[in-house]
Amino acid sequence: MDLRLSETQEILKKMARDFLTTECPKTLVRKLEQSDQGYSPEVWKKMAELGWMGLIIPEQYGGMGYSFLDLVILMEEIGRNILPGPLIATITSTFPILEAGTEEQKKDFLPKIAQGKLILTTALLESEGVFDASGITVKATPKGNDFIINGTKLFVEMAHVANYILCVARTKEGSSPEKGVTIFMVDAKAPGVRCEVMPTIAHDKLCEVSFNNVTVPKGSIIGKLDEGWPLVETILRKGAIIKSAESVGAIEVCVEMTVAYSKERVQYERPIGAFQALQHKMADMWTAMETSRYLTYKVAWMESQGLPCAKEASMAKAYVNEVYKDVSKWAVRLHGGIGTSADHDISFYYRRSKSADLAFGNTDFHKEIVARKIGLL
Amino acid sequence: MDFSLTEEQKVRRQQFYDKCKELEKKKPASFVGLETIFEDDECWKYHLYCAKEFAKEGWLALGWPAQYGGKGDMMDRVLFAEARGYYGIPGVDIFGVQMLAPTLLQAASEEIKREFLPPIARGEVMWCELWSEPNAGSDLASLTTTAIRKGDEYVINGQKTWNTGAHRADWGFGVFKTDPAGRKHHNMTFILLDMKTPGITVRPIPYLDGHTPYCEVYFDDVHVPAKNIVGQEHEGWAVVNLLAGFERSGINEIMTMFRALEELVKYCNETKRHGQPLAKNPLVRNRLAELACQLEAARALAYRVADLQNRNEMSLMDASAGKIFFSELGERFAFLATDILGPYGQVKTSRWAPLDGIWERMYHEHFITTVSMGTNEIQRNIIAWYGLGLPRIR
Repeated sequence: MDLRLSETQEILKKMARDFLTTECPKTLVRKLEQSDQGYSPEVWKKMAELGWMGLIIPEQYGGMGYSFLDLVILMEEIGRNILPGPLIATITSTFPILEAGTEEQKKDFLPKIAQGKLILTTALLESEGVFDASGITVKATPKGNDFIINGTKLFVEMAHVANYILCVARTKEGSSPEKGVTIFMVDAKAPGVRCEVMPTIAHDKLCEVSFNNVTVPKGSIIGKLDEGWPLVETILRKGAIIKSAESVGAIEVCVEMTVAYSKERVQYERPIGAFQALQHKMADMWTAMETSRYLTYKVAWMESQGLPCAKEASMAKAYVNEVYKDVSKWAVRLHGGIGTSADHDISFYYRRSKSADLAFGNTDFHKEIVARKIGLL
Repeated sequence: MDFSLTEEQKVRRQQFYDKCKELEKKKPASFVGLETIFEDDECWKYHLYCAKEFAKEGWLALGWPAQYGGKGDMMDRVLFAEARGYYGIPGVDIFGVQMLAPTLLQAASEEIKREFLPPIARGEVMWCELWSEPNAGSDLASLTTTAIRKGDEYVINGQKTWNTGAHRADWGFGVFKTDPAGRKHHNMTFILLDMKTPGITVRPIPYLDGHTPYCEVYFDDVHVPAKNIVGQEHEGWAVVNLLAGFERSGINEIMTMFRALEELVKYCNETKRHGQPLAKNPLVRNRLAELACQLEAARALAYRVADLQNRNEMSLMDASAGKIFFSELGERFAFLATDILGPYGQVKTSRWAPLDGIWERMYHEHFITTVSMGTNEIQRNIIAWYGLGLPRIR
């Protein structure tokens, strides 16, 4: 056991921090939140040059061949800085291709993803807003060598700028909701696909995507027909770990900013950080950060080693969700009036803690997985 | 970053688990949790028996240098604590093995090490801690019990309190004011003493449920050999701080909670309420799942602390965070479990009590971890002052 970062991870971490500080300052983040696109193609191109989209894509497909654990270290930095855009959507949508794509699909898509030429996203949620298979009602009906997709997806991140949308559709009414689900890789510009950006707390460009008689070839199925749900579980599991890591980075900044501010801000002739009411709160924030971090590292290590970790991934997401919301809330509170201003950077983190909670399974969804995995009937 | 154990570590961990599983079968009926060793004669005997069994394997000296009978390394100590925690096995003297021995190894003279370490390793001598006083708790440095040097002896007068197991311990280690006129923090000495020395009176204090895990200790002209000190004379405060730094990872307590969670899940699966298993109650599921997440987070932090300790990079911040987190998790767990048990949550060990009545005990026993060894409020000060660098206004 040695929980220090490896040399590669230290380098990756430093490179990411330097890059993001320079290339993605908060002025840009603020601008992107208000923009229609929601990301900067220039920064995206530079990130591609650093190899981020292809970080864990094997070298034979043009990627960097890094481990999942390395990706988690990168995600922490992204969470620290805040990076609006389709990076996480693209990376998590790559997982099913890596795991179940045909050789042809891999050769077609992976190098382009690694080069930053393709933006991907996954369309999972629908009007019920639930993360389990019972929520999947968008239908894909076979017609000759094609499938015709009809229905509406919601909360699809960055779909409006995506090249491909992984649409999780129902292809059969099975004996259970998990049976009869298929993943289609849909060209976002295909006739009948319409995206509309939903206004959300983090301005993170979640979209309503409607499919109106969208024709997709059989060859666009990722994995097996009717047996796509385990791949969705992979996206949710790995996505939960990645999102936890991103949140850990954000939590760290919330603690740092609050501690720094409390040392500067003087009231009653002393820095407010000298008051124990605040000190103890900050000690708790730090403790929550430290537990979140090592829980996330533990599960990321397990995932990286190929060990079964569905329980631990859900534990991490359920735990870190709550910590991020709570710590960012206290960060605003301890900043006082200024913390509630949109001009102050702390507000980014508070708003994003809610969207982070909802990405790849909210707390209650993951708690139910944990309840089953700890042996409750 | 690597969370894995080596093959040798896996083998040793299995040995620890096997031994503890075997010892579990010999638990007396009155044994419900580690604190019972101080309250019940049968449980104390069982504690001594386990200590001897562990001593035979050399496991009371894990991580010590070989010349004092040491074996294995710090990681073995963590794995051993994990196994004991899971099966709830006593036999490792918190005060002698876990607190005093590492302190002696770092701060005591060769003579003191040679005299006191081997009996600890053999599981022969049980220790207690003599720190707090009625008016010196969190502000320990304001203690007033004196040990005045007279020739080759110190003569001790005063009173200590909250001394866990002092009524059963053979020896005690404490801090006493040896230079009453000296500066605060430079006026006390860390002294080792035989609890059978004339002039010592030990009175058990009834804990809030009437049990007696700890005591108050009165000193009336108690003569102690002057050689029995650790560190420099009058510089006992440095030793106290050193010892406080040997905060354990908490893995022992955490594994005890893992086992308790397993038992509680089993209970919820087997117990029907409103015509269906308790496990099917969405509130029960949600709350137990939440606790399980926090428990896993606690374990991850314990590994972090252990990893730092293994490399001799002890971080006060992480040790304090670990102590706060696992002790308050214990509180939450006790409140949750007693909620789930409904009216049975109040029943002491008896034929009416589910799960041996452990939860009625836990409902009050958690104070022992939140209040002792530096209250959690003091731990938060440590994180704020020494970790986050926040200003300290005196």
